[in-house]
Amino acid sequence: MEDVSIEVKDLKIFYRVLTRMSIKKSLLKFHRNKIIKKEAIKGLSFRVKKGEVVGIIGKNGCGKSTLLRAIAGIISPDEGSIDLKGNSVSLLAIGVGFNEELSGYDNIFLSGMLLGIEKEQVKEKLNEIIDFSELENDIYKPVRTYSSGMRSKLAFSITAILETDIILIDEVLSVGDVSFKEKSYQKIKELILDKSKTVLLVSHDTSVLLELCDYMIWISDGIIKKEGNTHEVITAYEAFMKKE
Amino acid sequence: MRIIKLFIKNLKKYFEYALYSAKAELKSEVANSYLNWIWWILEPICMMLIYIFVVEIVFKSKEPNFPVFVFIGITVWNFFSKMITISVRLVKTKKMIISKVYLPKYILVLEKSFVFAFKSFISFGLILILMLLFRVPFTMYLLSFIIIFLLLYIITFGLCCIIMHFGTYIEDLTNVCTIGLKFLLYFSGIFYNIETKVPAPFNHILVNVNPIAFIIDGFRKIFMYATFPNIMIIIGWFFIGLLLSAIGVKLIHKYENSYVKVI
Repeated sequence: MEDVSIEVKDLKIFYRVLTRMSIKKSLLKFHRNKIIKKEAIKGLSFRVKKGEVVGIIGKNGCGKSTLLRAIAGIISPDEGSIDLKGNSVSLLAIGVGFNEELSGYDNIFLSGMLLGIEKEQVKEKLNEIIDFSELENDIYKPVRTYSSGMRSKLAFSITAILETDIILIDEVLSVGDVSFKEKSYQKIKELILDKSKTVLLVSHDTSVLLELCDYMIWISDGIIKKEGNTHEVITAYEAFMKKE
Repeated sequence: MRIIKLFIKNLKKYFEYALYSAKAELKSEVANSYLNWIWWILEPICMMLIYIFVVEIVFKSKEPNFPVFVFIGITVWNFFSKMITISVRLVKTKKMIISKVYLPKYILVLEKSFVFAFKSFISFGLILILMLLFRVPFTMYLLSFIIIFLLLYIITFGLCCIIMHFGTYIEDLTNVCTIGLKFLLYFSGIFYNIETKVPAPFNHILVNVNPIAFIIDGFRKIFMYATFPNIMIIIGWFFIGLLLSAIGVKLIHKYENSYVKVI
């Protein structure tokens, strides 16, 4: 029996377009407005073993980010289930949730605590995070004064150093300048080599996926189009994209 | 029952986060403004001066120790109205965090409540100073401050949770809240005495039916008049406050994971 760390079963997620409304609209509208239901994910099932690195590929808007958000617990499934077997999870995406008014320093603590890590543990890793982010004294300035590159660096450093059991990475391999990009790439590789971490990686960069992933899932229109060996899936995907 | 257990568990888990976040917010408020923490004192004092001008000079109304009287009203009102105003759009303003990591959304209300509770404690401190200046005697009744404040806190927390939930979905709830708060502002006896200024049967009804009026009146009783508000009505409002909080927490718990889809 192998150690499974993510189990997704018949996952379906709908977006109800038109759910936001105004009181005037709902008072004046006697006939019920048709709620347009957009299915973002239409029934996905897969398992990820512990320590595995799984790549997810697909066109823009096919539901990749929605899937990661659902696994991170930010969106609840409308049907089906996601079982993380009690593992802690963090989503690493462009522009991680910072409180704009607060300093980068305070945001490290807040993000850490939101990831379920105790304040003391964050304190222990604090210097490592600040060093990795290369922000130096800017760490004491409010995040709203940061450039987008600085934000991404800080976000990456927090998630990468305060390691959770499951790491979801959404297109953040191209963070910052060339040297930081190289450094973050090395860090991800390091995390990937650590067999206690499970990684889900969304990217459009097929060469990166080929190098890092053990397994590949190709999502198209909310369903799994093909899954399996990284090389095979990517070849099929590239051939398909060329045809379109 | 299950939700209460979960609520308490989450409260424990995220308490430190809310506290740290509130502290950091207060700190950044100080760092980013010119007069920094002086604003926390200056704002209620300016409000007090405005009301003194309008009520005592324009309307020539007399109320003993009016500055203390009105300051109590302003302090309670500031806590309540600011909490409500901020809660309507709270989910939207915290979009950046909510869309990246899970946290129980009532923690957002909790965090804001820490910020405003801190400010109101400063304000209550000023009331004590004013009482010294106007020679209002300090009595043992002051000790029951915590009971009335807890009542204010629970009612506000419950209402804010409910409002935050609906504010996420209903775009123009902000306008409704603005009007509702204006209405409540004039019917809570912040700058006049409901007991003496409102005709006979209605004054008692108003004080007992409007929780904010009741709480303001309660604070005045223990700070200024050395009496205690009706204990049965306190228990009644406590019960309603707990009920509101339970409804709010339940609503948020049920729908919080779809908030991201609409903001």
